[in-house]
Amino acid sequence: MDGFVTLEDVKKRYRMGEVEIMAADGIDFEISRGEFAVVVGPSGAGKTTVLNILGGMDTASEGRVTVDGQDITSYSQKRLTAYRRDDIGFVFQFYNLIPNLTALENVELALQICKDPMDAREVLTEVGLGERLDNFPAQLSGGEQQRVSIARALAKNPKILLCDEPTGALDYNTGKAILKLLQDTCRIKGMTVILITHNSAIAPMADRVIKIKNGRVSDILRNRHPVPVETIEW
Amino acid sequence: MEKTVKKAGRKVKKATRKDFYMEIRKSPGRFLSILFIVALGVAFFSGIRASEPDMRLSGDSYFDESGLMDIKAVCTYGVTKEDVRAMERADGVALAEGAYSADFLYSAKDEQQVLHVMSLQEKMNRVTVSKGRLPKKSGECLADDNSEFKIGDRVELRSGTDDDISDTLKTDTFEVVGLGNSPCYLSYGRGSSTVGDGSIQAFLIVPEDTFDMDVFTEVYLKVEGAEDLLAFTDAYDDRIEEVLTRVEDLADERAAVRKDSLMDEAGEKLAEAKEELEEGKEEARKELADAEEKIADAERQLADARVQIEDGRKQIADARSTLYSKQKELDSARAEYRLGLAQLNEGKTAYESGLSQFEAARPDAEAQIAAGRQQLDGLQAQIAADEQTYQAVLGQIAAIKAQIEAIQGQAQRTAEDLEEDNPPGDTEEGDRPGDSEDGDIPAELLSQLAELEQTAQMLAMKIEGQRQAYASGTAELDASQKQLAATAAQLAATKAQLSAAESELASVPAKLSSGQKQINAGWSEIKEQEAKLTDGEAEIVSNEAKLADAKQEYEEGKAEAEAEIADGEEKIAQAEADIADIGLPKWYVYDRSTLIEYSGFGENAERLGAIGRVFPVLFFLVAALISLTSMTRMVEEQRTSIGTMKALGYGKGAIASKYIGYALLATAGGSILGVLTGEKILPYIIVYAYGILYQHLPRILVPYDWGYAAMASGAAMFCTIFATVMACYRELDAQPAVLMRPPAPKNGRRVFLERVGIIWRHLNFTWKSTIRNLMRYKKRFFMTIFGIGGCMALMLVGFGLKDSCYEIAKLQFAEIQFYDGSIYLEEDVTGEQVEALKDELNGEEQVSRYMDADMQNITLVNGKKERAAYACVFGTVKDIPEFVDFHDRKTKERYELSDDGVIVSEKTAKLLEAEAGDTIEIKDEENGNKKVKITQICENYMGHYIYFTPRCYESVYGEKPEYNSILFKAADSAKNAQMEQVGRDILKKDGALSVSYTHDIEKQLDDMLRSLNLVIVVLIISAGMLAFVVLYNLNTVNIAERKRELATLKVLGFYNMEVAEYVYRENILLTFLGAVVGVVLGKFLHLFIIETVEVDSAMFGRNINLPSFVYSLVLTVAFSLMINGVMYFKLKKIDMVESLKSIE
Repeated sequence: MDGFVTLEDVKKRYRMGEVEIMAADGIDFEISRGEFAVVVGPSGAGKTTVLNILGGMDTASEGRVTVDGQDITSYSQKRLTAYRRDDIGFVFQFYNLIPNLTALENVELALQICKDPMDAREVLTEVGLGERLDNFPAQLSGGEQQRVSIARALAKNPKILLCDEPTGALDYNTGKAILKLLQDTCRIKGMTVILITHNSAIAPMADRVIKIKNGRVSDILRNRHPVPVETIEW
Repeated sequence: MEKTVKKAGRKVKKATRKDFYMEIRKSPGRFLSILFIVALGVAFFSGIRASEPDMRLSGDSYFDESGLMDIKAVCTYGVTKEDVRAMERADGVALAEGAYSADFLYSAKDEQQVLHVMSLQEKMNRVTVSKGRLPKKSGECLADDNSEFKIGDRVELRSGTDDDISDTLKTDTFEVVGLGNSPCYLSYGRGSSTVGDGSIQAFLIVPEDTFDMDVFTEVYLKVEGAEDLLAFTDAYDDRIEEVLTRVEDLADERAAVRKDSLMDEAGEKLAEAKEELEEGKEEARKELADAEEKIADAERQLADARVQIEDGRKQIADARSTLYSKQKELDSARAEYRLGLAQLNEGKTAYESGLSQFEAARPDAEAQIAAGRQQLDGLQAQIAADEQTYQAVLGQIAAIKAQIEAIQGQAQRTAEDLEEDNPPGDTEEGDRPGDSEDGDIPAELLSQLAELEQTAQMLAMKIEGQRQAYASGTAELDASQKQLAATAAQLAATKAQLSAAESELASVPAKLSSGQKQINAGWSEIKEQEAKLTDGEAEIVSNEAKLADAKQEYEEGKAEAEAEIADGEEKIAQAEADIADIGLPKWYVYDRSTLIEYSGFGENAERLGAIGRVFPVLFFLVAALISLTSMTRMVEEQRTSIGTMKALGYGKGAIASKYIGYALLATAGGSILGVLTGEKILPYIIVYAYGILYQHLPRILVPYDWGYAAMASGAAMFCTIFATVMACYRELDAQPAVLMRPPAPKNGRRVFLERVGIIWRHLNFTWKSTIRNLMRYKKRFFMTIFGIGGCMALMLVGFGLKDSCYEIAKLQFAEIQFYDGSIYLEEDVTGEQVEALKDELNGEEQVSRYMDADMQNITLVNGKKERAAYACVFGTVKDIPEFVDFHDRKTKERYELSDDGVIVSEKTAKLLEAEAGDTIEIKDEENGNKKVKITQICENYMGHYIYFTPRCYESVYGEKPEYNSILFKAADSAKNAQMEQVGRDILKKDGALSVSYTHDIEKQLDDMLRSLNLVIVVLIISAGMLAFVVLYNLNTVNIAERKRELATLKVLGFYNMEVAEYVYRENILLTFLGAVVGVVLGKFLHLFIIETVEVDSAMFGRNINLPSFVYSLVLTVAFSLMINGVMYFKLKKIDMVESLKSIE
């Protein structure tokens, strides 16, 4: 099976003074196009490293990462940036909206650098913020902010939607709503969504669950029948 | 329990301390930025403030080192040695020294210069020799460093007044043996003079004995204790003032003393003069009498001489007659001689003929004599024969007689005797007597005897006869012989006689010639005598002429003597009148401000102080704001930690102390750094810049000024601590729980611009974001604007200063006074000379127009304000716009000079506090002040002017103006060199005193203002530093604050450049906004500084030219870009992982 996203024996070493830390110690997995994948693991297991490498924010020390057939491990910083702007949609735990731009403007900010953007208003309406286009992040609730963040990511029309603990800063219901939005996006738009979380309870909603422990993939589960978010409780 | 608490306390202290140091190590950028901005502020404040005392100190050290006088006093009648001594004894006076000085003219290459000649002083005003040596003897001099003289040059001075130069100096030619400078001349200015064109070009220093004057021209004093005081300070001024007052009082005393002594002296002199006059009179009288006597004598001598000459003539006449008679005698002698000679010749001929006769007759005679002798001899022989016969006869007789002998034998012998006695001529005769004698013989014998006797008788007779014949013949012969001999003798005698006569005659010619010679000699003597006589006569004639001359001379002498006496009497009368007029000598006592540029130096120092009070404030404000933002940011960043501390139970003070300590340490470090560098570097640069103007300052002293250092450091401490406390205050008040939570993100807020839909809609949303960002961080916004504005303002001031100062020459001479030069006329110029000059000007192609003008120095009075100004009267009113343009500086409204009043230059009016429409006064101490009405006030930069029309002048002064100069304007094509040629031609004409060119003044001014360049450089550099520190700091804070946002952008796929642009956009906008603020700020600052820096004699331009704005803007932008460039790397370093972190 040709993975849309594949990681082969990805290793990442950090140097902290004298000590060398192996943040990723040979991670292998693949994700198919249009899949909703969840990378799950406890703190310090190497999730963030995976995220960083996948997101083009960091490069692997060893191994190969291919996205849509492109080997991004060999990318230069500049190409990585291009990769980020064209291929990746990023949803942050803390939304990371530009505070003095309205919801619409925050989306437009991302669109401005994009080759084939979607209409910002449309996307915002899709994420359910059609009424709050001109609100500043501070005037929005966390969930709304995260919706803006998702809208911003989606509007870029990326190959992968990369979500870093999107519900981490949200309350349960809002978190659920966001997850639903993400799941819907994946299902309806066929978007490849990679969600990184420490919350293994979310796993049932994913098509593929990649468990990471001590810098290695401990388990990969293929969920033939993912459940809708609404049915998940945690 | 307590112990543990204490221990814990110590541990806590240790922990907080560690936290404190760690904080610094963690954020060296913040720490250093506070440190540097404080250093900058402190350096500027203390440095520029210290420049003022440092400049004074540098000046003072030079003054003290060179022994610059404190007080100078001059007196209208000169300063006597007694005056100097009296001054030296005065209370508070440490030293007094008399000195000489005078101004002279010197002909340089093509111009006449005024040189100030000073005597070399020993005790004070010591000259610094830069080249060569000090003059040692009369005829040597040390020349001004700033002059064109070189060592070895000969300087020939001329008097600038009617007095001869020898009245003042022993020699008028000097050899330059050294170059140097005097503390009396700090800068380029050499002051003014009453001779020549009035402006001194250079000074010469000569040994004191070069001056040939009775009294000193001035006395210099040094005040006790003044050397320890700093010049230009109040302490010094007060000390000098104190002594100055005393010296003034003393001067009044000295004036009285001087007057008395002058009176005495004059009286004495008068008496002497009177006496002299009397003596002179007497002497004249005596001399005249002598002369008279001499003339009489001469007359007498002349008469004598005449008599002598008469005598001489008589003698000569006598001598001449004697000579004539002598000549006659000589002539007769000569005739006699000739006669004698003829006689002699006759005698000679007679003798010759006698001789020849004799000679002719002689042989006959001799033959006759010889024949006679022969006859005689025959006779004798006959006699002898007869004798024989006779003898024989006698013998026969004897024989007979023998026979008869008896008686006759005797007879025989007698007969023989006879025979022998008789010559043969006589023989015949003798024979005969002998024969005749024999006759007594006996008869035959007697007959024979008788016959024999007879025969003997016969014979004896015959012999007798013969003998007789013989005898007679012999006698006859003898006689004839005798006769012959006698004749011969006679002839010989004649001959002898003749030769005697001849010899006698021969001696005659010699005698004659000697006689003639004597006569001739006599004549020549006579001639000589005659010549002598003529000479004598001539002499007499000349003596007569001389006598006449002498008489005339005598008359003249008499007249002269009388005139002189009259003159002397008049002079005495005059002197008496003068004595009556001797006034109190006037003393003028000056302090150092009488020295050229001395006050200027002090004023410059003061101006520095003024600048120092303003400039650093800017830096301080910025420093305070920077500290505030930095500390606020720090405190905000450490919310959680503060919250934790609070939660742990630390008190507010303990928590705040960390931040206050942090700020304190940064500020203290900055202060120390600022003081140490600023107080050394800045004053040095500034005083050095002034050193271009005051080039003889031997050294620049920049000691640390702890007062300013403390002031600056204190202010900096206060600012930062205040800022820190302010920053901590809010956070510390909050509940720990609140602090532990991330702060509510700052609300995005709509900005005013959004309401202007048209603009807002057209804005790219990145710009929207930028604008909102700017509004969001107000502190940063204002600070950046302030920083950039300050930078821009500083640079604008720097460039603007240059504009204002440099431009004044251009403005003054291109827009206000646009004539190209002026010809100053001699004071006694005649109308014809002026006409001739104007003809020359008419003929010059290079001169387009000219106009008469009257330029005078006057003093304007308005209330208590007084100001020296130039009164300028223009000859032709309608031509004025061709030479001067009167207009308002701001409105540029043109004014016309009217007969109603005057136009006054702006600065003059400002200093006088007068306005258009006011009436001011022109000072006239003799005739009372004249009132004039100011009609307008015109833009003017250099000097003070008050302009009149001729009619206005007349109405003010009551007399027509006397034009003393001609203003001229060059043709457009004329070059400076051509103008100068025209000037030289003009100067050759009579009546022209000097020519000055506008372009010269312009150049001079430019040179002077060049010293500003360094100040401008300092300003630009400091502006740059300010901009750098501010922008760096703010950007750092900005980036730190927005790290997350920027990291997000990166994650979103913004290229580095795009991220940078996001930040830059704000910076660029802020830079331009700041620049706009800077323009306004700069304008005001510039105005303030110009007014502070401005000297009274000039008004600097208030303008800043467009290029200056451009330069300032370009530089500001450049600084900003530089910072942005540095920021780029900072941005690049932002880790995208930041975006994943939670908000702290």
